This record gives sequence, structure tokens and C-alpha cells, in this order.
Amino acid sequence: MEDRHGKLVELLEKSGAPLYTLLTRLTLHEDVAEELMQELFIKLSNSSQFDKIQNLGAYVRRAAINLAFDWRRSQKRNVLGLDRLNEPASNEKSPLAKLVQKEELKEILNAIGQVNKPAREVFVMRYIQQESYDDIAKQLGKTPHQARALCSRAMNNIRNILGSNNSGLSGKETDNVED
Amino acid sequence: MSKIDENQIRRRLKLLSQVEPTSEATDRAMERVRNTLTGKENRPEGKKVRTVLKRPITKLAAAAVLMIGLGYAVGRLSAPGPDMEQLNSALETSLRASLIEEMDRRWKSAFAANCVQLKDDLQQQVRRDLTEFAVQTLAASNTRTEQRLIQLINLIETARARDRRQIAAALEKIEFDKSRLGKGLVALAAQTSKLRGTKQD
Repeated sequence: MEDRHGKLVELLEKSGAPLYTLLTRLTLHEDVAEELMQELFIKLSNSSQFDKIQNLGAYVRRAAINLAFDWRRSQKRNVLGLDRLNEPASNEKSPLAKLVQKEELKEILNAIGQVNKPAREVFVMRYIQQESYDDIAKQLGKTPHQARALCSRAMNNIRNILGSNNSGLSGKETDNVED
Repeated sequence: MSKIDENQIRRRLKLLSQVEPTSEATDRAMERVRNTLTGKENRPEGKKVRTVLKRPITKLAAAAVLMIGLGYAVGRLSAPGPDMEQLNSALETSLRASLIEEMDRRWKSAFAANCVQLKDDLQQQVRRDLTEFAVQTLAASNTRTEQRLIQLINLIETARARDRRQIAAALEKIEFDKSRLGKGLVALAAQTSKLRGTKQD
């Protein structure tokens, strides 16, 4: 237990800030990101599988991405239109432009949420965290070519989702991104 | 199926990648997690206790404690009786303090774990209330607007009726004046022809 606590503290000091940034990007809310980060570490400290985790960094990042998209999905179920009044994340624009931009970002995040989990993780690492294919491949134990292919298929899928219409965002993961 | 432009998607993704939390928010989040982890560390863990109990040194220590306890009990039994009231009071205070502390820790932990859920529930409730309020306000506003419109229509109708009555009265007066003028002209013509006849004679 001491060992686990030490590992968690070390992880927090090393990866806490990047994880919080990732959660903020995926939720567009600092307060929600804060809640989710706490939830993430509580789950980790209570996890019975903790000692079996091989790559803690990758595991935590994946868990953070899943938590953020689960949160998005729960939010989508409760949308009544009033969330449009929330403060946009961007700045130095007119209120209308900010609102439009925030809606665009929400739309694309919801679309990413529908992509299946492995492709979603690669896509988030590549396009939201701006990591190179080589780094992604190293962290996930894949080849750069595989990472690129996953990203490409995820992008195509997201284009289809966004292109069809917004009412198609049902909250289910699509199955046709990765075989 | 139509497809959205990939450049547009990349533009949005670029914007997302530029979203950065403030350093204060990051520090706050880190501190919060740090505090949570520290709080957990102080919590008693059954597994840890079981592991400790399995060690041989623990067994020896337990035997020693047992011996000391027996010795103490024999000593106490042979000595005059203790002040039970004071002992009870001290025990009660100690138990209460530790119970409160434990409850407090459990509440904090449970609250921290369920905070997101609670917040979501609260948001949903607020949204539902706001929507209901908006619907009620809209309905009340519609009723009020209809009432105002009916009042306005009545006022316009009244004003138009009054105008019509005034126009009718004016027309009647014109008609009366015209009739009087005609009679006057006829009388004038008669007088003129009479005067002309007198002059010719």
C-alpha cells in the first residue's frame, strides 16, 4: 500500500499537469477537469489491478480519456439547450464568435467520443496532444504505421459523423474504425 | 453521405490542442489530488493489517502483549478496584473522538468519489428547474400579451365608433345648413323678382 501511494504521488508530480491539461481540453471546463482528475486518482488508488499495471503512464492517460468522454456522454444526455450559456474556452473574440467556436469544439469532441477506444486514444494523442506518430507508437506498443492508419481511419469516421448531421450523435461508439 | 472538409476538422483540432488551463487551476487540481492521496494514506487498510499479522515477529509481539496483559490483569485483580466511572468517561470520550474522526474521513472520501456525480445531478436539476421556469414565464407572458391586445382592440373599436358618431353628426349638420341655404336662396330669388316687377311698373 505504501508502495502504491508512493507510485501515485510520483505519477501525480510527473504527469499531473499534462493529465489535467488533457482533461481540460477534452471537457472544455477547468472545474470538471479538476473533479475528473481527483476521481481518476481515487479509482487508481482503490484499483485491485493496480499492481498488475505494466505501463502506468499509458494506463492513466487511457483512463483519463475514457473518463472525459464518459463525462461528455453523460452531459449529452442531459442537454436542454441552456448549456449554450456557458463561458467559452477561447478568448479575444466577440461573444457570438466564442459561442460558435465552443459549439464547434463540442461537436468535434462528441464525434471523437463515438470513435472506438483504441482509435480514439491514438487520435487524441496525435491531434489534441500533438504527439508524433513515433512517440504514440512507442507509448502504445504499436508501429508508427499502425498508429497512422488508426488515426487516418478515425479521421475519416469523424468526417462522416460530422458530415451526416448532428442528430446522428447517439453516444454509441462506432465499430467500423478499427477492425 | 456528405463529408465535412478535413481542413475544418484539423482547424478545430488545432484550436483544441491550444486550450490550456491556467497555472492556478493546475496547481489547485494537483493540490486537491495530493490532499486526497494523503487522506487515503491515513486510512486504516484491512489488507495491510492482515499482512502485518502474518509476520512471525508480530506473533511474538502478540504473545508478549498477552503475557503483559495477563500480568497486568493479575496485578489489577490483586490491587484495590479501579475508579470505573472515570474509566468509563475517559473511554467514552476517546471512542467518541475516534468515531467522529473516522466518520469525517469516510464522508470526505465518499464525497470526493461522488463529487462529479453529485455535480452532474445538481446541474440536471438546475436545468430542469430553469426550463420549467422558462415555460411558465413564457405561458404567463403570452396570456398577458393576449390580454393587452384585447384591451388595445377594444380601445381602438371605441375610438372608431366615437369618430363615426362625430362624422355622422357633422354630415347631418352640413345637410341641415344646405337645406337652410337653399330656402334662403329661393326666398332671395322671389324677393328679387318681386322688386324687379315693381320697378318696371
